[in-house]
Amino acid sequence: MSDLDKAIEQLRQCRPIPELQVREICFKAREILIEEANVQIVDAPVTICGDIHGQFHDLMELFRVGGDCPDTNYLFMGDFVDRGFYSLESFLLLLCLKVRYPDRITLIRGNHESRQITTVYGFYDECIRKYGSANVWRYCCDVFDYLALGALVIGAGSSVQPTRSTDGEDAETKIREAEDEVEIEVIGLGGVITRQMSRRDAGMINSANLTPSALPHLSSSGPAGALLTGVPGTGASGNSRGTSTPNAPTNTGGAVLCVHGGLSPLIDSVDKIRLLDRKQEVPHDGAMCDLLWSDPEEIDGWGLSPRGAGFLFGADIVKQFNHLNNLTLIARAHQLVMEGFKEMFDSSIVTVWSAPNYCYRCGNVAAILELGEDNSNAVLRSGGEEMLFNRENTRRLASTYMGGSMKRGGPGRRYRVFEAAAQDSRGMPSKKPMPYYFL
Amino acid sequence: MTSMPPPPPAFSAVAREVQAVMPTAVDAGKSITVSGFKITTRKLPILNAQEIDAMTEKLGIAPPEMIFGNNIVSIEKVGADGGAVAENPWKIEFNALDALDLVDKTGNDMLKVAYSSAWQKQREKMHEGIKEVVKPFDWTYSTNYQGSITPGAKPFEPTEDQIPLDKLRRQDPILFFDDVMLYEDELADNGMSILSVKIRVMPARLLLLARFYMRLDDVVFRIRDTRVFVEFAEGLVLREYQEREDSYDNVRQKIPPYRDDIPAIMRDPNQMAEYLPLRSVTVEKVVL
Repeated sequence: MSDLDKAIEQLRQCRPIPELQVREICFKAREILIEEANVQIVDAPVTICGDIHGQFHDLMELFRVGGDCPDTNYLFMGDFVDRGFYSLESFLLLLCLKVRYPDRITLIRGNHESRQITTVYGFYDECIRKYGSANVWRYCCDVFDYLALGALVIGAGSSVQPTRSTDGEDAETKIREAEDEVEIEVIGLGGVITRQMSRRDAGMINSANLTPSALPHLSSSGPAGALLTGVPGTGASGNSRGTSTPNAPTNTGGAVLCVHGGLSPLIDSVDKIRLLDRKQEVPHDGAMCDLLWSDPEEIDGWGLSPRGAGFLFGADIVKQFNHLNNLTLIARAHQLVMEGFKEMFDSSIVTVWSAPNYCYRCGNVAAILELGEDNSNAVLRSGGEEMLFNRENTRRLASTYMGGSMKRGGPGRRYRVFEAAAQDSRGMPSKKPMPYYFL
Repeated sequence: MTSMPPPPPAFSAVAREVQAVMPTAVDAGKSITVSGFKITTRKLPILNAQEIDAMTEKLGIAPPEMIFGNNIVSIEKVGADGGAVAENPWKIEFNALDALDLVDKTGNDMLKVAYSSAWQKQREKMHEGIKEVVKPFDWTYSTNYQGSITPGAKPFEPTEDQIPLDKLRRQDPILFFDDVMLYEDELADNGMSILSVKIRVMPARLLLLARFYMRLDDVVFRIRDTRVFVEFAEGLVLREYQEREDSYDNVRQKIPPYRDDIPAIMRDPNQMAEYLPLRSVTVEKVVL
């Protein structure tokens, strides 16, 4: 067993590795990351994850639910550190996996992967506490500067292979007929299929009546459709042939842009992200800052956050960006969602949140997003070649061009919802607060 | 003396399992009745999307990131049998919705993050078109909330009385204790804003502390405390409201620089209270 495998084993048990080894791994990680583009290209199938925030035991739960690395291809959208008690172990484990399996795990930068933020929100303190010096924190911060700013998932299928319920109790589950493709599947707590929606369903369902019910009812006999937040209505997203640009790969399932925060008014194409000089501390303004900080909001166009710094962007911005860049979806993290994920703007953007019971007290569930491979026979994404249309594609394009009832173009997506690991009690806030004589 | 909440409705096997493994501070509610006062606390997870939408509509502003909208702490005058009193019912309750309703929604009291002016200068150069601040409001969620009182109940009146700290310093047995979060926001990583309510019930009296704490990095520290003291035998209720505030720089100078856990201290309102000067205090009283 190599030293790296040993380190992975040790970190899996939530035990820190020696400082010298951290330095070595951070150095190797930098060598790998420096070769990556600002927007790393990732082939589907891939499992997309949101904020982790040092909740190590929940990260283990994520791997249990989503499959281990390297068996599952992972894409983490940043915010590995701060707030939780095990930022160090969580980040180092992900980093070791990156060094060990560079093609099976992609790490992009969150706003917490920054010197300034980590000194305030816990990671710095944790390093001092566990190593007695700031060295490890410095090594990690140097890695942060090399993390990609985003990723482009290509080759995702337009439907997910429906999961068959194992227990035979399908009262709430609509198993689709074979020719009716499943666009969205939600696997709730305990592996129970909470919902399957065909593309046709999705277009007809009004998002207003599909908000989630309270947590304890998630997988019980709640109303059908409990859990899907912001479910698709009819919406336009560009998937037409003519708009593809040379650098926005065309593919049958559509490309999915993954970024921690959101869009920037300075960035109207994926290519512009590629031009940024990312190897620096996260600045307080500019495109790089926006990508890591901005939020979608129910507004028209761009808005300023009431906080006095930072942008908010509306549905029109997302739809236009997706159309111009031949994207079918933007996946982002950055905002806590009680249900683990939240689709907005006719499913043109989704927030994925992967820290269950955030800060050990919010009681929220977490989710990961699985994008399947396009199993059709047309695989085409390099420039110059003629696109082969499979039956499905032809059908979709035809309906797109027919106008009126435009079908949605989002990739097939499976959300796996999970909750916090049964935590061991070390250092965790206990459920019952300790009485004391406060004044 | 502790009265248990009614048993939860029957759940399916799956739901039961879900409940069993929930590691969170999920609490359907607990209460205690002591000498004619019923004290209740309830702790539930943060609001889901539907509940957040409903609250946003009611408030007219976006609620904080971590919104415990179903949590409550209440103190209610009850009859000898523990039931509600028919005449002159009196109850004070602390909940997030009412607390947030007192947050400035006009944008007049808006603070700006420390790097705001630099950011805005940059923005003016780059995107002159984007000028509109989305729904301006006091996004620090500063509130002077002192609890919600039953409409028509006997009102508080100003008093010179003070909460008797000597009695509260005594280590009387604590019959009931809870610490209930109402909301928390990380101010987009520019600090923190938190409102929580602690309560301890002793055989002869109780103390409740609703503390709002806000730190805006490089700008300001703010604490707003509401204390409710009840002396059961006298039916005496005292409510004290304090505001503490100072600039970030002034406060930082008071924290001993040799402390190596300054970020942790700055996250802990209980430790920070001593560094923030008292700006105002009022005491009110009602005898039930």
